[in-house]
Amino acid sequence: MDILDQLGAVREGKLSRRKFTKGLLAAGVALTTAPLPARRALAAGGDQATYFTWGGYDIPELFGPYQEKNGALPNFAIFGGSEEALTKMRGGFVVDVSHPCNQAMPRWVQTGLFQPIDTARVANWGDVIPELVDLPGNDAEAGKVWMAPFDWGQTSVTYRTDLVELEGEESWDILWDPRYSGRLGSLASGGDAWWCGAIKAGVDFANIDTPEAFDKIAAVMREQRPLIRLYTDDTTTLEQALSAGEMVASMTWNSSAVLLQTEGVPVKFAKPKEGVLTWVCGVMIHKDAPNLDRAYDVIDSLLSVETGHFMINDWGYGHSNSKAFDKFDDATLAGLGLSKNPVEILQAGHFQQPQTQEWETRMNELFEQIKAGF
Amino acid sequence: MAETSLPKRRTTEGPPRASGSAFLRLLRRSESARAYVMMSPTLLIMTLGIVVPFVILLVISLWTRAGFGFDTTPTLANYARSWNEPIYGTLLLRSFWISGVATAITVLLCYPMAYYVAFHVHRNKMMWIILMTLPFWTSYLLRVFAWKVILGYEGVINSGLMSAGLIEAPLSFLLYSPTAVIITLAHAWAAFAILPLYVSLEKIDRSLLEAATDLGDGPVARFFRVTLPLSMPGVIAASFLIFIPTTGDYITPALLGGPDGAMIGNLIQLQFGAVNNWPMGATLSIVLMLWIAALALVFLLVTRKVQGRIT
Repeated sequence: MDILDQLGAVREGKLSRRKFTKGLLAAGVALTTAPLPARRALAAGGDQATYFTWGGYDIPELFGPYQEKNGALPNFAIFGGSEEALTKMRGGFVVDVSHPCNQAMPRWVQTGLFQPIDTARVANWGDVIPELVDLPGNDAEAGKVWMAPFDWGQTSVTYRTDLVELEGEESWDILWDPRYSGRLGSLASGGDAWWCGAIKAGVDFANIDTPEAFDKIAAVMREQRPLIRLYTDDTTTLEQALSAGEMVASMTWNSSAVLLQTEGVPVKFAKPKEGVLTWVCGVMIHKDAPNLDRAYDVIDSLLSVETGHFMINDWGYGHSNSKAFDKFDDATLAGLGLSKNPVEILQAGHFQQPQTQEWETRMNELFEQIKAGF
Repeated sequence: MAETSLPKRRTTEGPPRASGSAFLRLLRRSESARAYVMMSPTLLIMTLGIVVPFVILLVISLWTRAGFGFDTTPTLANYARSWNEPIYGTLLLRSFWISGVATAITVLLCYPMAYYVAFHVHRNKMMWIILMTLPFWTSYLLRVFAWKVILGYEGVINSGLMSAGLIEAPLSFLLYSPTAVIITLAHAWAAFAILPLYVSLEKIDRSLLEAATDLGDGPVARFFRVTLPLSMPGVIAASFLIFIPTTGDYITPALLGGPDGAMIGNLIQLQFGAVNNWPMGATLSIVLMLWIAALALVFLLVTRKVQGRIT
């Protein structure tokens, strides 16, 4: 071929633009056509289900049973907060399974974009902890549910025990401490941050939809804003920053503390005197899900005991399958802050309550303004 | 030469037809109709791809949000909000500041590179251009991530300075700040500066430089009086090519900007996402477009004046 001629031309300094672009075209065509047979072989068995979830949940460890049945992982799409996810789906983004939390679930149902889950088709349904199913707004008719509960846990402060000097008890004040200005972090989503602000401001969740609550919480968030180094949706960024010492404390979910402790970083997941934020999250199926059978496979996989072991052991989250807890003794569970009886843990903290769409929109708009510095 | 007048060409009617359609007759008669028909594929793509979305954007910006739908009574309320509320003005100013500084730095740094390849490289020019633009053949996102690694708390710069003993604690302003955004933008868009500058410097007639030397100019004076004014089209092109896209950049401030480095692009994205106010997002996009057009016009006039002054 004239590849050698071209290389020779380069050496002599006579490479022309035309020859060069022709060479690029040939290379491009070769690259796109060469692996085609291999790619076709990989895509065996048609489309996989799409799982629309929080950042960090797009990992193979949650899908052992799914992979065994379907030979590949489901497709993943990521969102940073449930409002962002809902807006995207309202704009026409169709997925099979999404992962909202109990606070958002009634609003999601209201949009009419989802179909009830036929619990008879879910293999592990008999083992699901009933209190987690019995959430406000979860009743569809004929014994079906809108959301199959999957995980439950807490949002609190993960802080470096060697870098933070606690004055007295653990408290949410760690994240408002001006001594650590520029070394604090937070999850960016209002769905967590605003509610933590409510706990700090002493606002009862029953009154969170009042003008006084908005003013109080906004004041508290504005106070915190200059101290924050980074608001992010990505838990890995916060974990890396905490392990490097770039941040000394951050508002995270309990998985971040467990992961960092496994790596030997001296962190603690605080039990603040004001109380932690607790939540239950689960999966919902889209009304027009293109791969309905595989969607149920996703749910089966997430609710399976294997996934439950991973969630409890590696991430410290509660799981909705009661059999998953059997492997762990009470001491381990207590150390992780979990128990077979989720209700006592969820009620011990501040459990998120569903709010209206207007409240949600207003809260998100206000919080984004505060984050921008206003 | 003798003035031969060509016989006036009669517009041919073509072979006589029993029923010539009006369209075909129009085509045969009118040159501009033929021109439009020839351009029609391009015009169609342009209309569908640029004009229609722009009109949709304009129409949406005149609506207001109502729950999850739109209240379609046309109103300028969004524009009034974007003028009155300080957050939008501040973010716009910050965006222009960041991209203005990034543009200036990029053009200043890339000018010597383009100058060298245009004037002092005589063989393998193509190779030099390829090598200079090679880093930009990778994904934009990967380049931004690479800068995260360099500027990070335990990144290249901080570890280097600390192991050299020049600093005790890592510099925290390098990442998650407007500085990080400026640095990254200045590097990520360098290819867009090098190529126009190179092209316009390459086109300068060398004999003009010789003439300047013959007439007594030293190298510095020759640069300012001949090379720089003649390369102004390249400088203007490079500046526009960098300034206009970076003002609305979203990825770089989202990854590296931190809370203080957010630009208008991030706010527009939020309107279409978490804040769920599409009309406001459309309004901000149009406001941004208008401001960029105004600034570009001002820049053009200023450079024209400067050119007039120098030459």
